[in-house]
This record gives sequence, structure tokens and C-alpha cells, in this order.
Amino acid sequence: MSKGKMREEEIRRIIRADDEWEPVGPTPMPNLTDLRNWDFRLLDTYEPFYAPFCDLCCLCTYGKCDLTGDKKGACGIDIAAQQARWILICSLMGTAAHGAHGRHMIEHLIEKFGEDFKIDLGSQVNVEAPIIRTVMGLKPENLGDLRKAIEYVEREMIHLVSATHMGQEGSYRDFESKAFHAGMLDHVALEAADIAQIVGYGLPTSIADTALVDLGWGAIDVKKPTIVVVGHNAVTANAIVDYLRQHDLYDKVEVAGLCCTALDMTRYDSGAKVIGPLSRQRFFLKAGLADVVVTDEQCVVTDIPQMASEAGAAMIACSDKICYGLQEASAMAADDILKAVLEEQKQFLILDSEKAAEVIVRAALALAPTRQERKKIMTQEEAALVSAKCRGTCEACNRACPNLLPVNVAINQARQGDFAKLGSVFLRCIGCAKCEEACVNDIPIQKVMQAAAASDTYKIRAGRGPIHDVEIRKVGSPIVLGTIPGVVLFAGCSNFPGDIDDVAWLAEELARRKYIVTLSGCAAMAASMRKDEDGKTIYEKYIPEFDAGCIVNVGSCVSNAHVVGAAIKIANIFATLPNRANFELMADYILNRVGACGVVWGPYSQKALSIGTGAVRWGIPVVLGPHGSKYRRLFMSKKEASDWNVIDGRTKQVVNTEEPTPEHMMLVTETKERALVTIIKQCFRRNDTPPGRAIKLNSYISAYKQVIGGLPDDLQNFVRTEKEIPIVYKREVIAYLKEVGWKPKTVLSLPTLIGTYETKVPIEATIK
Amino acid sequence: MASEFMTTPYYKVNILTGTKAAKVVSEPTEAASIIDKATNPLYVFGAEVIDSPVGDRLLIDYALEIAKSRDIPICATAHVKKKMMELGVRPDSTYDIIEIVHFLKDKSWAGVRGKGFHDLVLFTGVRCDLAERGLSTLKHFAPHLKTFAICRRSHPNADFALPVIPKTEKWRVYLEGVISELGAV
Ligand code: SF4
Ligand code: SF4
Ligand code: SF4
Repeated sequence: MSKGKMREEEIRRIIRADDEWEPVGPTPMPNLTDLRNWDFRLLDTYEPFYAPFCDLCCLCTYGKCDLTGDKKGACGIDIAAQQARWILICSLMGTAAHGAHGRHMIEHLIEKFGEDFKIDLGSQVNVEAPIIRTVMGLKPENLGDLRKAIEYVEREMIHLVSATHMGQEGSYRDFESKAFHAGMLDHVALEAADIAQIVGYGLPTSIADTALVDLGWGAIDVKKPTIVVVGHNAVTANAIVDYLRQHDLYDKVEVAGLCCTALDMTRYDSGAKVIGPLSRQRFFLKAGLADVVVTDEQCVVTDIPQMASEAGAAMIACSDKICYGLQEASAMAADDILKAVLEEQKQFLILDSEKAAEVIVRAALALAPTRQERKKIMTQEEAALVSAKCRGTCEACNRACPNLLPVNVAINQARQGDFAKLGSVFLRCIGCAKCEEACVNDIPIQKVMQAAAASDTYKIRAGRGPIHDVEIRKVGSPIVLGTIPGVVLFAGCSNFPGDIDDVAWLAEELARRKYIVTLSGCAAMAASMRKDEDGKTIYEKYIPEFDAGCIVNVGSCVSNAHVVGAAIKIANIFATLPNRANFELMADYILNRVGACGVVWGPYSQKALSIGTGAVRWGIPVVLGPHGSKYRRLFMSKKEASDWNVIDGRTKQVVNTEEPTPEHMMLVTETKERALVTIIKQCFRRNDTPPGRAIKLNSYISAYKQVIGGLPDDLQNFVRTEKEIPIVYKREVIAYLKEVGWKPKTVLSLPTLIGTYETKVPIEATIK
Repeated sequence: MASEFMTTPYYKVNILTGTKAAKVVSEPTEAASIIDKATNPLYVFGAEVIDSPVGDRLLIDYALEIAKSRDIPICATAHVKKKMMELGVRPDSTYDIIEIVHFLKDKSWAGVRGKGFHDLVLFTGVRCDLAERGLSTLKHFAPHLKTFAICRRSHPNADFALPVIPKTEKWRVYLEGVISELGAV
């Protein structure tokens, strides 16, 4: 349905179109089909690749339908469209999670401060909301404007959800276009949510060297009353910090978190501690070290009430998304709730964050003295004893392990007093407890791991929020010329295929090659879990400014917005292209000129999927770890055989660049070694100048030689002129190129896809 | 020649939710004869070939012998190329696992030696959950070829798969059986 006049006027009103900060571009608040041509242009080169996880469909009562091969469902859907439909469904889950988080955060802050509460991100950030500006055409000025952003997301989502119904969309390409839409909306929600909490809670925004905070379960002084918050929405966690401050209790109580609430809490108060990523939730909670467990929302393991009660800890749920069947107690007096918590071990849902904070702190103070005996982790002797029945032969544990770990060997050795193998299994364990459930001898494997887990503590830098405009001005030119070889974002969860420190290794390999390395969420936490010989983590070794060779923790999942935002700002601030309601112009600029790459090495939640899908629509390629294949869909070119035509912005002629850059938009790699060279390659851009390309090729060849061996056998695709061959490798590269019959390729300074497909954006718009 | 319909693979994460499952190839003779019948096979080596000991050799040593017996071109995924070069063998392709699967879907693709589409693709050593996904892609989208997962964890989405072989010693015997049969066929 095309937009009617009334809707167009409504949009102009919402975005205050008459405010003249920039002319309104062609796509203010785009609907489901407004960016479809752009999506299809991407899909022409980067075909969807499907790996069905299930060959059936059981979404309606016409089914089950078998969709194997060329079979169709009763509704007519085929296996490709069904995969794309699932992708849309899962992306919508992710978008809804971030959107609802934003909605809750913004409404909570509007209740507190009013909707006119100003957005001020400090002296270093003038372009406050690059995503909202670009997608909606709105320059948000206050909390009320952020609510408009969430309302826009909600409005679009109802149409997207509708498209997943039986007998609706039937083309995989259109499902993908809709998934892109969901992903882009996700980014709008992320940005609105993070800006709201930055301004509402005074989180860091205009400083780069934020505090170094403690991470690791060993950092928690469990002798003190210990409160552990789990989830992704820090409203209640921050209320706990406020309560402790107001009652002068802050140094008497430990407040620590798992997942993003922990990260956001340390942005609010650097005295709070981070226990670790999602993969540590069960491990820590089963250890019983928490006196009170607090759940908010998203990626919270759903058997927490049971674990808390088994550990004799109190448990309070604080989000309407996760109620666990508990009584909502906001209307009860705090004393009464506390009495039931302490005397009857009753668990509650308390949606009033201030009341929840009071109950949680008082419960921790009361419980801690009685729980000292329970706060002991399993000793090796105890662990060997409870493992006594294992002979390592039945392997039921291994077969259940989604990370394919050799649990049988580890437990069998632990039984005999050797915990080395179990220690290494622990470092790869994603904490699902499937092994324990499967064990024929009921060995409490997660607990046994306590005896093998090192209690090291690490330093992580508190999330810094948006990238500063002045930083963008400094790095804009070298990024676009290619002399800073790339901007890499590590996001997503910690269900890594290999060790917990895979991300730290990848991040460091890139930072030392002068990439701009940014991290968020559980990936940012995992990146701290590796020390060099001097005991330093990468956060202590590399600069925190957004510049070549940095390691920057932007913050929690919602802070991912700032890295996409930085790419937009390069086009907007450095290249001075207007971004207002100009999605295609910004995305085309990023795809062709900003060497950015997202990495989701442990893609677990649907939120990670929507973030990644959104990134692709912005022109940012994404590299996934092997678990990512279970999302069923990737976007890949056929390398040199695909369509690499662009328009040369100067001559307006179509030019076949013959170079596959970026080569794929979403792919899975099996090992961290392969991921390293793939990330480097995904940062190549058509706009690279010859010196810039030489620097990128230097990284590519050096990393390839280091981890794979020999010269890459696709150099002929990426070397465009002899000037681009890195000097150190000149002789061997020239010999190789000669052998494969390489011919020089065109180097363009204004490559664009605008004009190669039907769009309202004129080619002139790409040139300033 | 014993064969049966597959029931359960080693890893629960790979349990099939579907109707078309691999034919289980229990005997090395049968495996050798499938390989022998192919006119343009390809062998995909995954990262585990370089660090999985089988007897006193590595998995890659057996896989290389199978490849050598019929001059089967090799695609070295992940970082397998490094080890192959140490062993003095140059892979025909270094596409990563998902890349090679992407190309294999396309019947008009020239193949790694330019001889047209591969009619049989062997897989060994690819991380089991990832391999199962790639096999699923080929099952649905590449009707022009057959896949054979030479993996002791078993793969229901392949056309041909081994049974689960828990004991390393039996795995060694199976691999040696295939190699000696290929020598004999
Ligand atoms: S939605 Fe379509 S494919 Fe799925 S069960 Fe219903 S009719 Fe069958
Ligand atoms: S808890 Fe860890 S070791 Fe056990 S099945 Fe899950 S990932 Fe594997
Ligand atoms: S399932 Fe239990 S008894 Fe069996 S090998 Fe695993 S840990 Fe040992």
C-alpha cells in the first residue's frame, strides 16, 4: 500500500519537517516497501543462502507440511521462503525485545522527568541520534521524541508480524526485505533505548577513557551481602545502586551482574561488578554465591527461580516480560514482602523498581549472615566424590552438548583427581546444563565444574556510549581512503565455538594491525577474559579512543547502535552528505566506502540476529561463528562471478569493477583463524585508494600467512593496480599474479550503487 | 552390503526434523564402491582433520589417502591448508565450508578443477553442527549431487552417512577398510 497524503502529512508532523536542520530526504519513516528496491539490489549480488534447520512446517493446522527439496506446503510455501519466514519471525523477536526494552526505559524516565526532558549527550556529540535521523528524519530533542521512535518501530512491526501469517508473503526475497526492515527498526530501538538511559541516568557519553571495572566471579567479595542482577534492562539495578547510596550501604553490599544489565550498571556506577556473560549464568547461580537473585529481561535463563531456591537465595523478578507465575507485590508494604521472602522463602514479581530495590537490599542484608555456609564452591575432593560413578564410557553427556565438548573425558579425569581437562571444558562451556540433564548417573556436572574453574578477575572498561564527532572528523578520511584498514564491531553472545577468549584473540590481532576495534555486550565481557604475561587485558593495553589500534567497549547490546551510528556519521559529518530521511544514501556510502564489519562469534539470541540483519541493510557485512549457521540464512556472493557493477559518480557511467568487495554480506566461518582473515577481507571497499588498499592487503596477506599459510589464492580479485601490492610481499605477489594471469582493474573514487537500480535518490546526491 | 535408515546421530543437536534421511553405509566396501562410482567427486576437509588422532596417525592422513586413491580434488576449509602444505600437498580449493557449499548448489558452476559440477561430495572433519547445516543446504538445493559424510558422528542430512562409531579403534578400522577397498576396487 503506498502512503496516502494524510499519512505523509502525519509523518511530516511527527518529524517536524519544517525544522530546517537538513532538507527532508526521500524516505522519512519508511514503511515495509519503501526500501525494497535497495534490499533487492543487495540480494542480487549477495544471494540468500539457506541451511534448513527443520524440513517441516507446523505453523498452522493444514500441516505438518513436509517441505523437503521441491515439495511445497499446503499453503504453497517452499523451503526457501519458509526459511526466510523463520528469519523474519526471529528477527522480529529480537526487534521486539529491544523495542520493548526501549519503551519501558523511556516511559520509566518520562514518568520521572517528563517528556520534555532534554537530550544532551555532552560537548563531544552533536549528531546525537544518527540512526533515528537517517531512518525517520527526526532530530530527537527530548524523551518524548525518543518515544516517537519506539512508536514508529511498533507501527511497522504489526505489518511485519502480519506478513508471517499463513498464506501471506510467498517470496523469499520479500521475506528477506522484510527481515531487513525488522533489523533496521531494531537499530532505531537500540539507539532510542541507549540515548534514553544515557540522559536519564547520566551514563558516560563524552569521555573515552571510562573507568576500568572488575569482571569475574572471583572479583565478588561474597562475604558481604551479595545481590546479583541478571538480564538487560538496568532500571531496577540502578534503583538498587541508588538505594545503597542513599542508605550509605554501598561499601557494605556487593552488587554484581550477569549479561548486559551488569554492563549498564557499571556505566552508572563503576563500583558495580560484572560476573560475566550469559554462559556464566547457571554456573554462578548454582554456586549459591548470591544472596538475592534479581531478574529483569532478555536472555535470562528461565529456570532461575528453581536454581535460586535450591541455593537458598531470595529471588525477585522485575520485568513484565518475565513473571515466572509469581505474585506481583508492588502494592504490598515492603515489610510484608520481606517477611514472606525471609520466612517463607517466597519469590515475588515487583514491577515498581524502587520498591523492588528496597526489598532486594534488605533481603540481602538479612540473608547474608545466615548463608555463609552455603557460599562455598565445590572442592576438588567433593567433586571427585560426586563424579565417582563416571567411567567416561556412556558419553550421554557429550551427545547432549550443543558445543560438542568432551565432557565424558573431563568428568572421568576429575573423578580421578585431575581437573585440567574439566578446566578447559569449562572455558568452552556455554552453561546450558544439557550434559547434566543427560548424565545417566545424575552427576551435577555444572557444580563439578566449580572445582575446575579458575577464579581469575579481569579488567574491562565501562561502556563509553556514542563515538564523538571530533573522533569521526579525525578518522573519517583515513577510513574512507582505506589507510585505517577497518572498523570492526564484536557483538552478540558468548556461546563461542572455541574458548571464551576467542574474541580477545581476534580483537587483539586486529587492534595490533591498527583496526578500530569496538565491542559490546557479552562479546565485550568475553574480550576481557584473557591476560598477557604482564597480567593485562586488552582494555588495559590498547587505547580507548575511537582511532587506529583501539579497543573500545561501547556498552551493552543497545549500545551497538553507536557503532552503526559512527559509520553514518562518517558519511554525514566527515563527507557532509545529508542523512535526514536518507537511508539509501547513507547505506550506499557505508557499503562502498566505510570498511566496517560486524562479528557475531557467538550468535545466540534472536536479538543478535536482528542486529546482524539490520547491519546488512546498512551495508555492513557480518561474520558469524559456526553456531550462526543454525539461524538458517546467510548472504553470499559468487565471488568473481557475481554482479560487481557500480556507477562511477564522476562520469555517471556504469563500471564493472570486477572486484568482489565486500565479498559477502553474512557468512559463517568455522574457526577463529578463518574468521580473522575473513574479517580483514570484509573490510575491503571499492572506494579504497591504492595506498589504502595496499595497507589492507598487507593485513590480509600477513594474517593469512600466519594462520592459514602461503599466499591467499584470491589475491587477483583484490589487487587492482601494481601500486597496491604491499612492498614486503612484492616479489612473491607479482610472481603469483603472473601465474594466474592477473589483469589490472579500475580504481574508482566515487563508486555507488545508486543509479544501478530504481530509486528516488539522484546520483548527484552521492557527491558533495 | 548392510544398510539401513538412519535413526539418531551422535550429537542431539543434529537430530533430523524431516522425512529424508541419509542411507547408512555400515561397511567400508560399500563406502568404497560409492566413491568409486563417482565421475567427478570432490573431498571437503574440515578443521578437525588436522587435530583428530586416529590410532597413531591423524585423520588427515587417512582422508588424504582416500583422496589420492581416485585423484579426488580437495577443498581445504578453515585453516587446513597450513597442515596440508606441511605434508607437501596443495589443496585444489581453499574456500571455507559455507563458501564451497554455496558454490556446490549451483549446477552450472565449473567445479574446483573446471570439469563441471561434482556429482559426489565427501566431507570429513567439519565441525559436526556446521557440517549438518551445510549438508541440509545441499539436500534441499543441490539435487544434482550426492553427499557422503565420512564422519563417525553420523549425519542424517547427508545422502550417505556412516553409522555412529564411538570407538576410535573401530573408526580406524573403518577408514583403513575404505582405503584398502579403494586400492582393491
Ligand atoms: S503455514 Fe503452510 S507450510 Fe506451514 S503448516 Fe500451514 S500450510 Fe503447511
Ligand atoms: S553445560 Fe557446557 S559442557 Fe554441559 S552440555 Fe552445556 S555447553 Fe556442554
Ligand atoms: S553421562 Fe555422566 S556417567 Fe556418562 S560419561 Fe558423561 S559424565 Fe560420565
